[in-house]
Amino acid sequence: MDFTLSERDRMLQKSIREFAEKELPPRMDRMEETGEFPLDLLEGLAKMGILGVITPREYGGSGLGHLARVLVLEQLGRICPAIPMSLEVHHMCVYGINTWGTEEQKKKYLPALADGKTLGVFAVTEPGGGSDVGGTQTTARLDGNDYVLNGRKCFITNAHVSDIWVVAAMTGEGRKGMSAFIVEKDFPGAGTGHVEDKLGLRGANTGELVLQDCRVPKENLLGGEGNGMSVALETIVKCGRTGMASVGLGILNAVLEEAVKFANERVLYGKPISRLQAIQFYLSDIYSDLEIARLLAYRAGWLLDNELPADAEATLAKQWICEAAARSARKAVEIHGSYGILKEYPVQRLLRDALVTVPAGGTAEIAKVVLSRQAMS
Amino acid sequence: MANRQPESRIWIFAEQRSGQPADVVFELLGKARLLAAAPGWKVGALLIGHNVSGTAALLENRGADEILVADNPGLEDYRGGNYLAVVDRAVRNYQPDVVLFGATAMGVDLASRLAARLRTGLSAHCIDLELNEKGELAAVIPWPGGDFLGRIVCPRHRPQMATVSPGIFDVPRSDFPEAEVLTIDGALNSDRGFYRILEKKPEERKPGDLENARVVVVGGYGIGARENWALVEELASVLGGVAGATRPPVDEGWVNADLMVGQSGRTVHPRLYIGVGVSGHLHHLVGVKGTELKVAVNQDTRAAIFDHCDLGLAGDYREIIPALIAALKEPRAGGDL
Amino acid sequence: MEMIVCIKPVPDPKQAGKMTIDRETGTMIRRDVPSVINPLDRHALEASVRIRERHGGRVTALSMAPDDVLPVLKESLARGADRLVLLSDRRFAGGDTLATACVIAAAVGHLGTFDLVMCGDETTDSGTAQVSAQIAEFLDVPNIMHVDDCGVSPDGDLRLHSRNEEGAFTAEGQTPMVVSVTADINEPRYVTLMDVLDSEGKEVLILSADDLPLEESWIGLEGSPTRVLELFEPERKSRAEMLSGTPAEQAAVLADRLRRLGFRNG
Repeated sequence: MDFTLSERDRMLQKSIREFAEKELPPRMDRMEETGEFPLDLLEGLAKMGILGVITPREYGGSGLGHLARVLVLEQLGRICPAIPMSLEVHHMCVYGINTWGTEEQKKKYLPALADGKTLGVFAVTEPGGGSDVGGTQTTARLDGNDYVLNGRKCFITNAHVSDIWVVAAMTGEGRKGMSAFIVEKDFPGAGTGHVEDKLGLRGANTGELVLQDCRVPKENLLGGEGNGMSVALETIVKCGRTGMASVGLGILNAVLEEAVKFANERVLYGKPISRLQAIQFYLSDIYSDLEIARLLAYRAGWLLDNELPADAEATLAKQWICEAAARSARKAVEIHGSYGILKEYPVQRLLRDALVTVPAGGTAEIAKVVLSRQAMS
Repeated sequence: MANRQPESRIWIFAEQRSGQPADVVFELLGKARLLAAAPGWKVGALLIGHNVSGTAALLENRGADEILVADNPGLEDYRGGNYLAVVDRAVRNYQPDVVLFGATAMGVDLASRLAARLRTGLSAHCIDLELNEKGELAAVIPWPGGDFLGRIVCPRHRPQMATVSPGIFDVPRSDFPEAEVLTIDGALNSDRGFYRILEKKPEERKPGDLENARVVVVGGYGIGARENWALVEELASVLGGVAGATRPPVDEGWVNADLMVGQSGRTVHPRLYIGVGVSGHLHHLVGVKGTELKVAVNQDTRAAIFDHCDLGLAGDYREIIPALIAALKEPRAGGDL
Repeated sequence: MEMIVCIKPVPDPKQAGKMTIDRETGTMIRRDVPSVINPLDRHALEASVRIRERHGGRVTALSMAPDDVLPVLKESLARGADRLVLLSDRRFAGGDTLATACVIAAAVGHLGTFDLVMCGDETTDSGTAQVSAQIAEFLDVPNIMHVDDCGVSPDGDLRLHSRNEEGAFTAEGQTPMVVSVTADINEPRYVTLMDVLDSEGKEVLILSADDLPLEESWIGLEGSPTRVLELFEPERKSRAEMLSGTPAEQAAVLADRLRRLGFRNG
């Protein structure tokens, strides 16, 4: 067992850290204000190889894999968690196409998803529910050489900033009745609905996709008819949950840094409050959450890179880390006292961001159902 | 014509551009005169250039015993190798015990090469010099790391060399006995180590320049980002002063290197100094002299700057400075409190 | 162009506050502070890589450092250097600028013919700004410091713009030459994930004193004419009077004092 990062991992961590520290802060006020994803950042994200971190090199990515993805998202999240939130879903789109796509589909879509022209979407959730994948009501009916899709997808990350969507729709009944499709924004009948105004992760776009007699060529069926459930579940569990775990991990990094900084700077009764044991206990809790989060998230990435079973581990990482981020962010706000609720201090944003990660990609309760199964097996 | 004498010699390099001696030349003369107080010591000024007899006249009653002049058209501009050849030859002929340079662009370049050529020691950016009865020079420098000064010596090699930060030493009186002006060999036998100068533009000295400013507001690494720099400038301007920087903002590219105050930057002599987000390393502080009031604003109450200031404000400068600017802009209230 | 860029690992300047000095030896205790490539050296590296991209050639990153910082120095390969040469030997330790320049110049000579040696103007951990000129002296080639623009003329000469406190000048010189640069020369590019991958196959050469034409008396402490006599604490003012209250209250007190002392605009 080796818990050290390789030279390569440390170097990429450092390079993303530098990129994040320089490129993200100037954009964050606007993101917070408007809730919009900074599209002018896409080119940089592409050049850095961040968009294509799990895309194989032959399709224009860096092909570094899942642990690298965790490290990248963590470093970005340390500065601005909304960015890795958008990227983690983008990577799900890439993961779906790379895992189940035909050679033609990969050649057509993966380079476009790495070169900075667009982000990707992975759309399963509907107004009827997100965690209940089987309850999908969007339909796809074969009509000549096209499938005709009808339905609405909601809580879709990147909905309004993406040209390429992976969408789940029912081509039949039951588990084998679901299929996945690659839908281009410009296909007839494809459109977007309203934009959500979120509490946190405000710079990550979230909104609706609307499919109204949307014609999707047959060759855009992803993974074969009836395999949509596998495409959806595997992508959500492996890629989505590891990604969300990384967003939470990024937040925890920032939470600890802000908490320590404030505790060292804030003077009460003639000394910094970091000398008070009550504050030290808080800092110790946050530090512990961060260290445990790191182990869980890195393990999930490492298992995926080694093609080992990772469903329970990714689920545990996501669920535990996002809750840890929320509770630690709250402690950091408390360390700040009244300053913690002022907009000038980042901790209030980190708390709001952390709260949004908790239900994203599956509620804690659903995760616990999965984990209890693992516990009893 | 090497007329060696038994005396000990301190030389200073009399840097000039277009005939105008650098300010630091006078400061070096003043210090050299003090160091050479013991009997048997002579102060020499080494003047290199073209048509510099007028320059020699400016230096003749400022503490030097002799001014050694090399005058040659090939020495019009400093081009590295040309001055080096002349200084090297002069040092070998006269064997001074100590050679001092201003820590200017020219001084550092020339002194570094000369030390390498002579394989002797060179202390960089000194802020004080001491000479003991054995003729051993100790150079005081701010030690890397920030909290200490170091005393550097050069026990086994001669000459002992140092570059001295401008603005540190006092300018000497101008009523010293007239120095003897000696002509030394300024011939250039080869063009090895030269480059060609195609174009030059002297720096325009602005009246609001840091060195002369009566108020200096310095921003440090704590400023955090280029876009926040405007606050430092605004405070300086409200106080009728000039903004300066420590090294990190320069390294980060937030401000131009011209604004750097400290050992390897400028030395300022303001009545009021305000350090904002400045940690208080000696490298910076040695460049701040003769202040009436030193104020520091820093979030970190443990910052060393608070050990070097009269007045400390602990807190986020992004709150304190705008409030201070607003308060200073307010028309004065009816009566004093 | 055959280019050599001198790089030095320094304690991360962003974490300078964590460093302490061993008062006996004068050495920095770096404890938890990680090393990074000296910021100005990154500008030098970028400048060389840009010249190679326009005019061809090879960029060698050269460093004298203990071999445990090799991973830090490898960043130079991701930043575009074609190979990395590390000069690592216990006998180099304790050298002043003269001994350091002597070793680096010997290594440059050992590596073969070169057109350009590039350095950062100074390092954040010592700031003597002497080494580049001394390397040039040992190599017997011209040098220019404070370079903020650097190009190659059609006939292969270097065209350099240098700016210092006295003014600016444009100079032209034949290669080989030693140049040291300021931060204004360029904005170093980010290291991309592809750069990290591509750096892995590049050559890393480690040389010791025995590989270089050096005499023991030229290197390390033995080869250093300067000695640290002692470190001492400067006289300091007594601790500052600390104002109390909210930021606004403190600001108001300061504003009032500045007015009383006559530091008020207009």
